[in-house]
Amino acid sequence: MRFSMLPRAFVQMFKKPWTNKFPAKYTPSNTTKFLQKVNAGEIKINPPVETPPGFRGKIQYDKEKCIGCQLCLKVCPSGAIEFKPEEKKIKIYLARCTFCSQCNDICPVNCLSMSNEFLLADSDLYSKDLIVE
Amino acid sequence: MKKATTTKTTYQIPIGPIHPALKEPVFFEFELDGEKIVDVDVKLGHVHRGIEWASRKRNPVQILYLAERICGICSFCHPAAFTLAVENVAEIQVPERAEYLRVIQAELERICSHTLWAGVAAHEIGFDTVLYLTWQIREKALDLTEYLTGNRVTKAIIMIGGVRRDITPDMIPKINETLKYLKDNFEKLRHIFLDDKTVKMRSQSCGILTKDDALKLCAVGPTTRASGVKKDVRVDTSYFAYGDLDITYTTPDILTGEVNGDVYDRIIVRLLEIKQSIDLIEQCLDKMPSGPIVAEPKIAKLLAQLKKTNGEGVGRHEAPRGEVIHYVKLDGVNDAPFTWKVRAPTYNNILPWIPMLKGQQIADIPIVAASTDPCMSCTNRVAIIKDGNRFEMNKEQLHKLSVEKTRRLKL
Amino acid sequence: MTEEKILSAEEIVKYFTDKFSTKIKEVKIKRRVAGIKKNETSYIWMKIEKNDFKDFIKHLCDFQFPHLGVISGNDLGNSIELIYHFTLNYGNRMKEVILNLSVELPKSKPEIETICDFIPGALISEREKQEFLGVKIIGIPDNRRLFLPDEIPEGVYPWRRDETGPEKLYRNLHEVKK
Repeated sequence: MRFSMLPRAFVQMFKKPWTNKFPAKYTPSNTTKFLQKVNAGEIKINPPVETPPGFRGKIQYDKEKCIGCQLCLKVCPSGAIEFKPEEKKIKIYLARCTFCSQCNDICPVNCLSMSNEFLLADSDLYSKDLIVE
Repeated sequence: MKKATTTKTTYQIPIGPIHPALKEPVFFEFELDGEKIVDVDVKLGHVHRGIEWASRKRNPVQILYLAERICGICSFCHPAAFTLAVENVAEIQVPERAEYLRVIQAELERICSHTLWAGVAAHEIGFDTVLYLTWQIREKALDLTEYLTGNRVTKAIIMIGGVRRDITPDMIPKINETLKYLKDNFEKLRHIFLDDKTVKMRSQSCGILTKDDALKLCAVGPTTRASGVKKDVRVDTSYFAYGDLDITYTTPDILTGEVNGDVYDRIIVRLLEIKQSIDLIEQCLDKMPSGPIVAEPKIAKLLAQLKKTNGEGVGRHEAPRGEVIHYVKLDGVNDAPFTWKVRAPTYNNILPWIPMLKGQQIADIPIVAASTDPCMSCTNRVAIIKDGNRFEMNKEQLHKLSVEKTRRLKL
Repeated sequence: MTEEKILSAEEIVKYFTDKFSTKIKEVKIKRRVAGIKKNETSYIWMKIEKNDFKDFIKHLCDFQFPHLGVISGNDLGNSIELIYHFTLNYGNRMKEVILNLSVELPKSKPEIETICDFIPGALISEREKQEFLGVKIIGIPDNRRLFLPDEIPEGVYPWRRDETGPEKLYRNLHEVKK
């Protein structure tokens, strides 16, 4: 097998690498400071691979259209949606969301949709970025 | 090998319910005489997560997503078998277009799984370059899955009564492009695996499972087809659109003309199945009828209908590893099913490990165990009883032994 | 080996009712169609008595060696029901018949004989039923636990819905403050 793979491995040396580049060229010594600089626009990072259309990322909620029918609560497999009875609107906890988009399918007024955001990692389960309401 | 005092750890801490992982721990206990294995004992239960118990509070639509997370590689098979079981109970007739779409997704998953397995098998023998090559090919198939379903692993494409997303005509050029890429590279894969002298020396006459044993121990999937038993749910029964397609049993005598039941035959069966899957997807795209993609688009109505149904049903599907069977009993009173029994294909393939491993050397353990493509793949801890003393070896040491044996076979 | 006979679902049922006519409690045949050509698959659901179980299995193995899918279990209140899912006629295109055999055991004496001497592949499924439902399988070659860890005490059977169920043991780790 050494001989049968050798030509192919040799050719690959001159081709573009198959893997996508890491966001930064060298690992930053302090990740939080690095991310602050990126948010301020001072440092550019290599973008991740393009997502196709129809990708199931972070959920988006159109509050005006929602009628408070609670059908989405019935189908959520992980119990990530909570109903707020005084407003008749919902609150979605992304820390438990499984990104199945079943709530999108059942909603009668189409107020839920999936965006293509997937960089959602956080150390606090209930931070502002991870609650959609 | 460290000489440890006799604390035989027989279970591991469970890693959590949502876990699209390939490797799950299994505990082997070997009895050795020098380098040869005399007796084998298998212990399981390290990743028992109580999934069937979690289904007692969920309605069938929610259980679809629970079933998907039983295994990362078989993430289409379990929901598919579950919907087949529920459709059997409730007598839901699925539209024809949905059946063809389901076949395309099932075969795409089979391609991804078998190419991943080919890489893992090459890695166990010691050829890491082939691991990178096969996983590079697999990336294209995963990109296609992401394009068609929205995610690479947890596809969430099947729904009780049909599928959730359609394949529109503008998606077809991308599918054809990926199929062409896979077909071109298949010939390279075949040449690397099957014509190479070292692979033959390592895998022929190694880990033999006779036809008699395979029948008696009820083995399933490519493990049993490589021993000459013709068992394949897609060919035996008519479900999804397999009844209309041109498909046959894949046994090693298609390529070599004889059946030995060793590791080499299993490699042949899996590589031939990749080719068969590409062919089946092309047949489906040609013959796809038009029409609706789901029998009941209003999910609230479907749930209400299932809540009133009473009965039991069985759903079987051919996963990449063998036959998956689900049994569902609905009681007509509650939302949640009364009983849900899942049987993954590897459960039936555990007992064949015992006759396969007797008489082999320690360094053959990784390749023989990996050749059945277990969905609980690697032994995390192996306890070896040698001359009455106990040694413990972990996976890295076993793997190293296997690679060294390959280097000893001087080319 | 003689040529294997391929019988349809009705003929298989007749083969069993010929020998065990009074002992079979209920027989149902269900058919499902799929695809454009609407090919059929047949499912046989049979209920038999516990005492004739071993003879039944022997009769089945004489006819054709079946493939055992899995053994599933139900807790029906006063009795435990075990369902054996067999398939016959594998190896022939679209002729497979699925035979589901259900046996009811009273909770006061949940015992049944093993089928491992006819079908060695049933070992794992039988061990699983012993630990999950509390069924005692007479004559089983290997009596150890299969999936449950040793921490779960004897006498707790996770699939049962009565007082021996696992209600006291689980912890609601998944609940999160909202």
